[in-house]
Amino acid sequence: MNTLLEVKDLCVKYGNIEALHGISFNVNEGEIVTLIGANGAGKTTTLLSVSRLPPPEAPKVISGEISWKGESILDVPPHEIISKLHMALVPEGRHIFGNLTVEENLKLATYARKDSAKDINGDYDRVFSLFPRLAERRKQRSESLSGGEQQMLAVGRALMSKCTFIMLDEPSMGLAPLLMYDMFRTLKKLNQEGLTILLIEQNANLALKFAHRGYVLDTGEIVAQGTSAELLANPEVKKAYLGG
Amino acid sequence: MDILIQNLLNALQWGSFYALIALGYTLVYGVLLLINFAHGDVFMVGAYIAFFVATFFLGFVDLSPWLTLALTVPLTMLLTAGVGVTLERVAYRPLRRKGAHRLYVVITALMCGLMLENSNLALLGASRKKFPELLDKVIYTWGNVSVTNLKLIVIFTAIAVFILLEFIVTRTKIGMAMRGISYDKFAIPLMGIPIDNVIVFTFVLGSGMAGLAGLLFAMSYPILEPYMGALIGWKAFIAAVVGGIGDIRGAFLGGFLLGFIEVGVVALFPSTYRDLFAFSILLMILWIKPTGIFGVAKTTKI
Repeated sequence: MNTLLEVKDLCVKYGNIEALHGISFNVNEGEIVTLIGANGAGKTTTLLSVSRLPPPEAPKVISGEISWKGESILDVPPHEIISKLHMALVPEGRHIFGNLTVEENLKLATYARKDSAKDINGDYDRVFSLFPRLAERRKQRSESLSGGEQQMLAVGRALMSKCTFIMLDEPSMGLAPLLMYDMFRTLKKLNQEGLTILLIEQNANLALKFAHRGYVLDTGEIVAQGTSAELLANPEVKKAYLGG
Repeated sequence: MDILIQNLLNALQWGSFYALIALGYTLVYGVLLLINFAHGDVFMVGAYIAFFVATFFLGFVDLSPWLTLALTVPLTMLLTAGVGVTLERVAYRPLRRKGAHRLYVVITALMCGLMLENSNLALLGASRKKFPELLDKVIYTWGNVSVTNLKLIVIFTAIAVFILLEFIVTRTKIGMAMRGISYDKFAIPLMGIPIDNVIVFTFVLGSGMAGLAGLLFAMSYPILEPYMGALIGWKAFIAAVVGGIGDIRGAFLGGFLLGFIEVGVVALFPSTYRDLFAFSILLMILWIKPTGIFGVAKTTKI
């Protein structure tokens, strides 16, 4: 299996606080990997570090390595993470452009794409068939969408930016259970079509049922790892994160 | 009736100047949430650039006034855009990189404005410059209404710039990115958009149009001095706020509104009341709608 993302001994500072104390994990091609852990464990910090967002948004890497297909990405500018390496981030809180319409949000995600209009139009059709609700609302200002629809738009936007790897930060947050299961079914389908997924979740139960492998993050350190089945069966993980 | 139309035309001309400058404030604010207080002085620098370009082509190259004007328009816009981009590079970007609070960036902008004024003073001295005549003055009269060709050019230029900017902002991808940044800067690089390019483009547009305004202003009122941008800059900024800062339509509406109010006050009262009345009316508009006429309060969904 090809390793896509490899994080090695990563130490990261947020302001003056060290938020990650040397974590290591990897994601292979075609996998769904999840990082679970409580609030403040460093999950979002990890994704923001991988996305290479500029300061002040992103934390500062003080040591360790983040590499993509074997090459360091620590010096890659943030917009090239998606435009050249095709890694997308669906951030916590979704960050859609509320003042733009649904269609404009999707169009903006194609900003750096150099492939043909035909390919891009094909991707619009794909997004609208995955999320028919977005098709219905394509001319609406996106801040008028419900939370679930905004989440669909955030994922749709990532797909329009032509990602092969998607990082999702708490996609279940604020979603009604039914919508949440819908979203995960769609993500599973995308994974079967070849999309590699790195998922962050507080809802560990849900995440482990969905993912192939997982890592448990606790106050900036990885305290357990394994296949989802192993983690679901691990008594300590059970006690701390799965409610018994 | 004639007096009304005459005043209307004057108001449109002044409104055009305010609008052309106001949009620079509004564009930069929309993208960076930065009030670029140096912008009025960028307008002044634009007028001086126009002066030097025009004098050069008229005096040294000996071109005809028409050809000089045709060259002065794009060159002034280009060079003034360069000034705006330089300000962004050397003053605002380093602070942004360090994550400085907006307050410090605004103070930096104020300082940059003063530096532009004072470097002008230091380099060129306090003497005023007389802008050369580039356009043969033609006066059209209907009854008691008279209007110069220049006044009409100013008004039509403002309208053309408005249409162009509306097109850029609503129909092009970079315009969409500019609107996107104003709502959520964080997500812009996640879309593969180099944020600095969008910011530079914004400064190019805003400063370029300030240069155009500087040229037209210098042609209309051909005396240049280092502080000519200060008051008009403040007024344009207030116009942008009243129209709803961050919104291009707001900048134009606010600019024309200020033009109308000023000319209206002068038509009815002694001219010394002009600014007092004008700003009192604008203050009342802000009482009723603090976000400005086109402004919307931002809401977010959890």
